[in-house]
Amino acid sequence: MSTWTESYPTEFADHAAITVGDQVPPLERTIGLTDMVAYAGATWDWHKLHYDAEYVAEKKLPGAIVDGQVYGALLVEMLQDWLGPQSFVSKLDFSFRNLVFAGETLRCTGEVVEVAEGSIRVTMQVVVVDEDGNDGRAAAAPCSAVVLLGTSDGPGAQK
Amino acid sequence: MSLLTPEIAALEGTQRVYTAPEPFGGAAGRYFGLAVGDHNPLYSDPEYARAQGLDGVTAPLTLVCETNQYADLPMDPEGYAGHTWQLDVPGTRQVRGGNSYTFHRRLRPSDVVTATWAIDQVTSKTNRSGHEMLVIASSATYTNQDGDLLAENAETIIFVALEPAVAAGEKA
Repeated sequence: MSTWTESYPTEFADHAAITVGDQVPPLERTIGLTDMVAYAGATWDWHKLHYDAEYVAEKKLPGAIVDGQVYGALLVEMLQDWLGPQSFVSKLDFSFRNLVFAGETLRCTGEVVEVAEGSIRVTMQVVVVDEDGNDGRAAAAPCSAVVLLGTSDGPGAQK
Repeated sequence: MSLLTPEIAALEGTQRVYTAPEPFGGAAGRYFGLAVGDHNPLYSDPEYARAQGLDGVTAPLTLVCETNQYADLPMDPEGYAGHTWQLDVPGTRQVRGGNSYTFHRRLRPSDVVTATWAIDQVTSKTNRSGHEMLVIASSATYTNQDGDLLAENAETIIFVALEPAVAAGEKA
């Protein structure tokens, strides 16, 4: 593994032991302006809303706006970090609630609501962590995912 | 007058197709992982990925749905260079509703992706505060050069009237 990936876990949740009500280990990430510039580059979305202080000030916004699509990436990361490489997120839904601005910290959480043969369904939310470390305003909610277990790829890979 | 004009209603069925000019490659997924802060070696370590049953490295799942990378469109004055329906609805503010992704398989570096967007439905409703909302439901499919379905993405854009709707018989 590279230096970047060597901190990645090598042990994951026991899929057979997952039950309804299990909590997904939360994922927290502070999204700084540098992260937002990197994300804008990675997604080819260079809209000034995501990095240009002068532009957002003209729009009377408190800061550069975090691209909402990053919530989806973080939710997938949270689920994969918990379930490991032998899992595949086949469905992911999320609704936007409030804007998030540069420098704020997001907290993703989730709970297992259904366990089926070879898959689970999870409900999730993304909130902004307030200055006391508590859940603040919702960034995305409700959110949900269906995750296939025991496979590293989706059904389309079988073709 | 309703926001749902005949011109807006006629947008249902409108389609845009964007095909990447080259295979996806491995760097895009590795870069996206770095940008998001996702340390998963599936995006950067081919040996690790093969040990999990994949052909090699893949990309974080949501990256395939970022259409701008295939669009090859010019940058507008606000820096945006990507897919848009270019809807201008005067007297409204635009709100994004959300996304519904379906992933069929992981992206491979050899995939040449085509994104096909369509406006599925245009409707009008009134919110609890009496403001009309124009709801644009659109969806995209992402396929590769062999016609493999990689992912689907449904999203909603809402244009909310800045002023409350005027009831029938009421003076404006």
